Amino acid sequence: MSKNNLIPTNPLKFIKEDAGHLLGDGQFGAILAGAGEGKTSFLMHLALDNLLRGKNVLHICLGQPIKKVCLWYDEILHRISDQYELNNTNVMWEMILPHRFIMTFSIEDFSVERLEERLNDLTEQGIFFPQIVLLDGLPFDKTEQSSLIKLKTLTKEHGFPVWFTVMIHREDKVEQPDDIPSPISHISDLFEVILKLKPAGREINVQLIKGPKLDKVL
Amino acid sequence: MNRDPAMVRNIGISAHIDAGKTTLTERILFYTQRIHAIHDVKGKDGVGATMDFMELEKERGITITSAATYCEWKGYEINIIDTPGHVDFTIEVERALRVLDGGVLVLCSVGGVQSQSITVDRQMSRYKVPCIAFINKCDRSGANPFRVIEQLREKLNHNAVAMQIPIGIEADFQGVVDLISMKAMYFDGPSGEQIRLEEIPQGLRAEAEARRESLIDAASMFSDELMEAALDEKVTADVLIDAIRNGTLARGLTPVFIGSAYKNKGVQPLLDAVTHYLPQPMEVENFALDMENGEVEKKLETDFSKSLVALTFKLEEGRYGQLTYIRVYQGTLSKGDTIVNSRTGRKVRVGRVVHMHADQMEEIGSLPAGYIGALFGVECSSGDTFTSPGTRYSMTSMHIPEPVISLAIGPKDNKAQVKMSKALSRFTREDPTFRAYVDHETGDTIISGMGELHLEIYVERMRREYGADVTTGIPQVAYRETITRQADFNYTHKKQTGGAGQFGRVAGYMEPVKDEFVFENRIVGGSIPTEFISSCEKGFKKSIEKGQLLGFPVTGVKIVINDGQSHPVDSSDMAFQAASRRAFLEGYRKAKPVILEPIMKVEVETPTEFQGAVMGSLNQRRGMILGTQDEGNISVIEAGVPLAEMFGYSTILRSGTQGKAQFTMEFSTYRQVPKSVADELIKKAAEEKKKAA
Repeated sequence: MSKNNLIPTNPLKFIKEDAGHLLGDGQFGAILAGAGEGKTSFLMHLALDNLLRGKNVLHICLGQPIKKVCLWYDEILHRISDQYELNNTNVMWEMILPHRFIMTFSIEDFSVERLEERLNDLTEQGIFFPQIVLLDGLPFDKTEQSSLIKLKTLTKEHGFPVWFTVMIHREDKVEQPDDIPSPISHISDLFEVILKLKPAGREINVQLIKGPKLDKVL
Repeated sequence: MNRDPAMVRNIGISAHIDAGKTTLTERILFYTQRIHAIHDVKGKDGVGATMDFMELEKERGITITSAATYCEWKGYEINIIDTPGHVDFTIEVERALRVLDGGVLVLCSVGGVQSQSITVDRQMSRYKVPCIAFINKCDRSGANPFRVIEQLREKLNHNAVAMQIPIGIEADFQGVVDLISMKAMYFDGPSGEQIRLEEIPQGLRAEAEARRESLIDAASMFSDELMEAALDEKVTADVLIDAIRNGTLARGLTPVFIGSAYKNKGVQPLLDAVTHYLPQPMEVENFALDMENGEVEKKLETDFSKSLVALTFKLEEGRYGQLTYIRVYQGTLSKGDTIVNSRTGRKVRVGRVVHMHADQMEEIGSLPAGYIGALFGVECSSGDTFTSPGTRYSMTSMHIPEPVISLAIGPKDNKAQVKMSKALSRFTREDPTFRAYVDHETGDTIISGMGELHLEIYVERMRREYGADVTTGIPQVAYRETITRQADFNYTHKKQTGGAGQFGRVAGYMEPVKDEFVFENRIVGGSIPTEFISSCEKGFKKSIEKGQLLGFPVTGVKIVINDGQSHPVDSSDMAFQAASRRAFLEGYRKAKPVILEPIMKVEVETPTEFQGAVMGSLNQRRGMILGTQDEGNISVIEAGVPLAEMFGYSTILRSGTQGKAQFTMEFSTYRQVPKSVADELIKKAAEEKKKAA
C-alpha cells in the first residue's frame, strides 16, 4: 500500500472529502471530548493525514515529554500498518518524519510569546516551516481570550491553521446537542470548526458542532 | 572511632569547576586537624591541596578523581568525598551521590549558578540527596551572595534561605552574621581558626532581623512547634534548627551559608551546619534487591549486628594493589571476614580495612553500617555489592551515562602496546563511563568516554602513569553499504592455466531485505551440485564483508541462486566461491548500492536562551530535530544526527552556550548518506586507496 492509498484512512474524510483543507490558514479547529474518549488519537490521525500529504506538522503538546508523543505516533502507525497489512512502514516513516516537529512545554510555562520565540528560532534559521499546528493539552478554563486572539494573529502571520484538543467534563453538559460546551462556549467565535467526539460502544461518533454541516459515524 | 551512627555524616562536596570546593575541603581538613598546614590548589609552595593528590590534578588545578577522606568535628565523624566539577567527570559525582547521605553544593558568589551546578543539582535530586549550599569567594570583586540565592531559587527551584549575611563584601569581607544566634562571627588568627563572636554591627541589624524573619517563615512550614513559637514571638535556636533540619531532610528547604574558603572565613559554621542539618545514615532509606527472592526490594537497616550489605563505589590501583572504596549499609565489615560478591557469587576474605585520607591511609579493624572506607586486595568492579554468606542482596544499580565520544588510539611501539593494554584494563575497571574496544573492521583500538577532556585525561594518564606512548587519531565512522533494488547476476568462472582447471557458473538475483544477509538456494535439477551450494554461500558471504563503494560491510542483502553450471573435473569449492564473488560484484553494481551511516540520537540540554543557537548547530550538522521540550529555564532538544558530524561537537556546544549546555548521544539507526556526501566519501576513499597503492 502506498502513501497515497493511506490518505483516505483519515477519519475526517467523512466530514469533507479533502480533509486536509477543512481549515484555512489562521483558522482554529477544536476537538472536544471527555477524558480518555479519543481526542489525542483523533489528533494523531489528523497529523498522519497531513504528514502523508507532505505537509509540515508542528505538534505542540503541553505537559508531556517528547518521548511520549513519539510513542503515540509509533502506536498509531503500528495499528494502521497492521490494519492495512503494510510492509514498508519504515521507509514511509523515514520519508514523512522530516515533516514532523514536536514541541512540548509544561502547562504553566506555555505562552503565546514563548511559542512565537520558538517559531522564530525554527523559521529564521530555515529549520522548519509549519503548515499545520496541533495543540494538545491547552487548559481552556485557565486560558484567557486575549491569549487566543494573540495566537490567532500569530497563526495568520505564519500562515497555518491550528487544531486544539478541548477536554470537556460531565458538568459541562449542554441543553441542546448542538450547543457548545462551556470550556470554549465564550470563545466559540474564534473557532471555524468544532467537533465533538462521543463514544458509542466500539465506535466513536464525531459530531460537527460548527463548520460544514455533516454528521457521520466512524 | 566512635560507633554511634547518629554521630556520622557522609557528605559530598559538589560544584562547578573553580567554585573552590577543593580549597574548601582543604580548609575543612585543616580545621578538623586532619592536616596541619594549608596548601593552595595552584599554590606557589608547589605542594598543592591535599585532596588533589594526583600529579595531573595538581598541574591543572582541577580535581579528577574523587578522593575520599574523613575527619572529626565536635565529636561527629564526617566522611567526605571530594568530587570533580567538570562536566566530563560526572560519573564521579554520580557515584559519590549514590553513597552519600547529604551534599554541600558549593557556588561561586561571582559566577553564581553555573551549568555544572545545574547538572550536579539534578544528580542530587535523582538520588534524593538533601543538601545545604555554601556561597564561596565572597571576598572576590563582584561577589553578591544574595543574587546567588535568587538564582538558586529561580534556576534550580530550591527553597533557598540565607542562614547568614555577610559583614562587608568583596575586598572588605570580614565575617558573617549568624541568623540563628544573631551574632556577628569573625575569623581571627593566621588561618581563621579563632572564632570571635560579637554583637551585630549597627548598620546590619535591620537587614539581619528581616532576613531572620524570612528564615523563620520558610522554616515554620516544616514545624508546627516553630510556627506556634513564631506567633508567640518565642523562637529559640533549638526549635529553629530542628525546623530547618526537617525542611532540609525533606528537600523542601536549602539553608545557604556564605564565606570565603581561601580567606579562611565561614568554614567552621559550615561544618556545624553539616552536623546540624544533613542526615545521619539511618535517616536515609536505602534499599537492596533480594536476588534469591525474585529481586524483591528490601529495606536496609543501619544496624551493626545484621548481615552485611555493602556497595563498592570506586576502585583505584595503588602501590599495594587494588583499593576498593566501599560504603557499608547494613551489618559490619571486619578484617578477616568472608564476604560474597553478589554479582559473581565469589567469596572474598577481607584483608586490610582502611580509612582514606586523600592518598594517605589509616588502618581500622572494621567498618560498621553507615560508614565509608576502603578495602585492599579485593578483586571486583565498581558498583558491586558485597554481602555476608547466605544473603544475596544487590544494591540498585547506579545510573551510568552512556559514553558520548570515541577516539582511536595506538601504541607507538611494542613496548607501549603492553603498557597501553595494562592502562586500559585498569581505567575501564575504575571508570564505567570509560570504555575501550578493538574495532574489528578498522583494527583500531577505540576508547570512548564522556567528553573530549575525559579521553584526553586518560591518554595523558596512560603516558604519565604507565609510560605508554600512544598516538591518537580521529576514529573512523563505521559506515555500511546496502542495495536499493533487485538485480540479476550470471557469472561463469573459467580458468585453464595448465593442470586442473577451475569452472563454475552461478546465476540468480539479489534484493534488499531487512535482515543483514539472507541466502536462498532455488537450484533445481542439480545445475550446481549440492556439495558446492555451501561454497556459493561462502563466496557471497565473503563478498559482503567489503562493499565496492567504500570498502565497508554490505548489509540488508538477500541472495537467491536459481541456476548454474558445473564441470565434472574442473569444478571445485574454490571455483564456486570465486564464481559467487564475481557474481556478487556483477549484481551489486546493478542493484544501485548506497552508503549508510550511523545516526545518533542526540539530546541537548540547554538554558532556554540558547535553544535557537543549539538547534542551528544541530541543523548545520545534517541533524534532523525531532522536537524540543521546554522545562522552565531549561530546554531539551532531541535530534537524530549523523555520527560523522558529531566529532568536536562538545567543544562547539560549549563555546556556543557559554559552557551551559550539555549533550548525550547514543546509536539510533543506520540511514542512507545524502548523495553529495556519499560522492565526497567515495572520492576520499578512492584517493586513500590510490595513496596506499
